[in-house]
Amino acid sequence: MAVERYLEPHQARQRPATLFEDLLGDAIERAFGEGVQTLPELVAYINRSGPAGENGEAWTEPSFAALMQRLGH
Amino acid sequence: MHVQTISINPVDRLLSKGLQNLWYPVCPSDFVQDKPVSLRRFGYKIALWRDAAGQVHALEDHCPHRGAPLSQGVILGDRLACPYHGVEVRCDGTVTKVPGSPGCKLEGARAALDFHVHEAHGAIFLFNSDTHVDAPPAFRMPEELTSPEYSNFLCYAEWRTDYRYAIDNVMDPMHGTFLHKQSHSMADGDSKATFQVRETDLGFVFEKAGQRGVNFDWTEWGETDMHWMRLEIPYPKTGGPGGNFAIIACVTPISPELCAVFFWRCRRVQGWMRDTWRFLYRNRLEARHWTVLEQDRVMMEQMELDANERENLYQHDIGLVRLRRRLRRLAEEQLEGSGAA
Ligand code: FES
Ligand SMILES: [Fe+2]
Repeated sequence: MAVERYLEPHQARQRPATLFEDLLGDAIERAFGEGVQTLPELVAYINRSGPAGENGEAWTEPSFAALMQRLGH
Repeated sequence: MHVQTISINPVDRLLSKGLQNLWYPVCPSDFVQDKPVSLRRFGYKIALWRDAAGQVHALEDHCPHRGAPLSQGVILGDRLACPYHGVEVRCDGTVTKVPGSPGCKLEGARAALDFHVHEAHGAIFLFNSDTHVDAPPAFRMPEELTSPEYSNFLCYAEWRTDYRYAIDNVMDPMHGTFLHKQSHSMADGDSKATFQVRETDLGFVFEKAGQRGVNFDWTEWGETDMHWMRLEIPYPKTGGPGGNFAIIACVTPISPELCAVFFWRCRRVQGWMRDTWRFLYRNRLEARHWTVLEQDRVMMEQMELDANERENLYQHDIGLVRLRRRLRRLAEEQLEGSGAA
């Protein structure tokens, strides 16, 4: 007899990721994979080869840090 | 099919339910909301509920009158009213009201088994005892959970196996090199290794001689009136600055063939690095960790329940041999203490 058990792959997030978040995650991982270590380097990298900010604007250190704070609370 | 052997050895019987006089995590915090819930843990069926202030309480889910499940009843703050005949039981086990027979002997008796509760790190912990305990020992967890320098996420799962297989799995770092060969974080490292045991104040560390920070290279057993394990696994470069991540693991028995596993994934990160790690964890790392953990679960669930009665252990297994001996020793002490040995 099979025992019912709790197996939930997603416990940390309350909703599925958006396409924007996925693209941003891709860019952050690529940056880290290429050796980026600091916030200025990371923001420059995403401005070069990542999605634009939520309203289409260029990323700044404060705007990136603020979004991470919101999504990574 | 699992074959269940009925053991009559008291040490085995105690160990199969789980050692007493220990804190155990029993479920994530959000399992207990505005209604009572019933959980089987370490040989008991337990009713848990929150009072109006959000404080969690726990009683054996067995009404002292005739054994109906208190968890089916109504919350009255720090008491539950049994659905069968309305008997009210307070969180300390005292029957405060017998509506059908006011003034009877049951009223005022401490007739139900109560458990001390501690809520922390996204989970609810109970102190496992078969009698009422006035004040439980202090609750202590490793710094990866308690220090503000770290950030963590809890991953909770239930595995269809005896809890000791889940513990043995964590005390066996070498499986990382083989079972998780294709994983995102454990592809590197020597597949041959010599292990050593090093004593600590709280337990012991089981580690690869001469390899650190490459793969799943060491694991620690800790005892702080709670049994926990600690290990570290390196992130690939894509994990960004912040170094290894640590896992604090606890395993709680549910039944002879089901257990609850708690893995807190912790990283020493602050500021934008912390927030970025947490974003990546939610966005994609959690799913990767889950895939690795599923390899463990599937392997554990495919082990026959008596597989550990026919083994040929070698040097990589001295960590779990050491731990099994320790748990038997604790069980013997517990039985001597209760006069049952
Ligand atoms: S069984 Fe609970 S009140 Fe009778
Ligand atoms: Fe594993």
